Amino acid sequence: MSDDWILIDGVHPDTSNFPVRAEFGGEKVVVLRVGDGYRAVQRYFLHQNTDFSRGLVVGDGAMIRCGLHAYTFKLADGNGVNCPGYRIEVYEVIREGERLMGRKVGATGHT
Amino acid sequence: MAASEKSGPTLIKGGHVLDPAQGIDKIADVLIEDGRISRIGDGPVPADAEIVEATHHHVSPGFIDVHIHAYGTLGFADPDSLGIWQGVTSFVEAGGPGIGTFDEFLALLAGRTVTDLYAGLWLRPMGLIGVNYIEGDARSLMEISIAKWMDAVADHGDVLKYVKIGAFGRYGTGPLKIGKGLSEILGIPAYFHIGEFQEVPPQITTAEAFRVAGAGDMITHLYHGNPGGLLDDDGNVFDFVRDAVARGVLLDVGFGGYNFSWRVAERAFAQDLVPHLISSDLQQHNVTGPVYSLANVMSVMLHLGLTLNEVIERVTIAPARAISIEDRAGSLRPGMPADVTVFRVDDGEVELSDCQLVKRTANRTIVPVMAFKNGVRYETDLAGCRDEKNWFWHVSEDAVPARAAGLDARQREFLAALAKRLEPETWRIESAERLDIYAAINLQDLFHEVRAHAGLPLRDALEAVYASFLASPFTMQIGLFLFRLDKDFAIERLRAVAGASEAVAAE
Repeated sequence: MSDDWILIDGVHPDTSNFPVRAEFGGEKVVVLRVGDGYRAVQRYFLHQNTDFSRGLVVGDGAMIRCGLHAYTFKLADGNGVNCPGYRIEVYEVIREGERLMGRKVGATGHT
Repeated sequence: MAASEKSGPTLIKGGHVLDPAQGIDKIADVLIEDGRISRIGDGPVPADAEIVEATHHHVSPGFIDVHIHAYGTLGFADPDSLGIWQGVTSFVEAGGPGIGTFDEFLALLAGRTVTDLYAGLWLRPMGLIGVNYIEGDARSLMEISIAKWMDAVADHGDVLKYVKIGAFGRYGTGPLKIGKGLSEILGIPAYFHIGEFQEVPPQITTAEAFRVAGAGDMITHLYHGNPGGLLDDDGNVFDFVRDAVARGVLLDVGFGGYNFSWRVAERAFAQDLVPHLISSDLQQHNVTGPVYSLANVMSVMLHLGLTLNEVIERVTIAPARAISIEDRAGSLRPGMPADVTVFRVDDGEVELSDCQLVKRTANRTIVPVMAFKNGVRYETDLAGCRDEKNWFWHVSEDAVPARAAGLDARQREFLAALAKRLEPETWRIESAERLDIYAAINLQDLFHEVRAHAGLPLRDALEAVYASFLASPFTMQIGLFLFRLDKDFAIERLRAVAGASEAVAAE
């Protein structure tokens, strides 16, 4: 495993209640269960400071929709779907035993 | 959803008629003949009249919503979903188009909805640029053509009902004064949006909006909880608000996605500051909550303390007078077009949410069950509006939308020509906050240039582009629409759809 994967502290892949709020590399994120895997997004969206832990995963796990105003983003790259120009940070998340490890999409070029 | 096939005589029987315009508040029958109100009360009933049983229901003039979004960046695939299907028989597009895109709005929507659709044009020629982009940049006002506005009022005064002005943003109070001046020249109301949340720090011009507004002008988002409200730091209604009301300025709810706060509304109601008009500001981003429907906003007003009669007045005769359509809507006077809403008032606890998701428990809610438009009956479908296909604007990136197959040869030729013309251009979304409006206007101009050369009707040209990218029939200012697409993807898709005709032709 390369060095750029960081432990997502305090989240258990089986017992946590997803979506779950977490700290990751000094950033506040929300970890999501998507299909058989996981994904994470930044916790707060600048638009009225919405909390994505109240968001909905839609489009067969391809997107997340803000629970307040239905702004929708692709989980692949964070780009706005119905709000082009907006982008949120998204994170790849993998399971490693009893832990979840994450890294920012776009930060390493491994997207 | 179901509509009756014809508008034969109909008797709405035994309902509680509320028609504030005529001071009617009693149980009575309403007779509709030839699409018009024939009579309220007892009298002979045509033998072929359809009887609609309305016992335990209320019957009022069709609801009027002076602030919705049918078109553009906030609009819906099916505008009637928030109109006739929710018991609203007339509504006003609040600023989606501007004077520079009014032609597109007219080509796409005029006469195309069951619900009577009017327009308030945004002061910016392109119209509302959406929640993405900060609205308050004075440079985006570009060149405001007074002559073009005057022609629009002369030619389309039956549609164009107000000038919508943002009382916020950069450059102080100048833009709102320009807008007010324009409305005076045109002799139509100014419609001011108050409240700011985009700019940090906010630049507040609310007080000036109340000061320059005159009799008949409207101020919307009355009870918003953002900077620039109607309450001072101690929660008291500002004197400039009282002064405006005394001059005849009309206060409008404009609930919106960001524009209604229980805290503000309750403080204002406690000081007898109530609205003259109730409107929803329904748009893509609030239809799944907290707005849902005009009826929901009416329930909110009921909970705040307006009587049922006061609520109905504020969605019937009051808005009809505000936008000068009282000769055709807003009352059940005999001879008027038969625009009627039949609704229940349900008892029982319901949670009503404001835009910060603060909740109040109401014990009465207004539930439309049926509407008549020119005598034709429509069974209400409150949920249809919330269908994802109706509000979730998104480009079909992976596949050409099926409806593109319906484009004809001329439309495909146009798309090929458009792709060719756009090829040497460059555009790119550099910012989520600041629209490169010059780029968007350039794309709009190029679209019109190619369309004119092709001799294609505007509607056909617009639909050709939308059908190439959008699975649901949304509309949007064409320059802004093209700008929001990735250029390489746009050209490739236009060519793919255009090329399909060649393939067909070659067979």
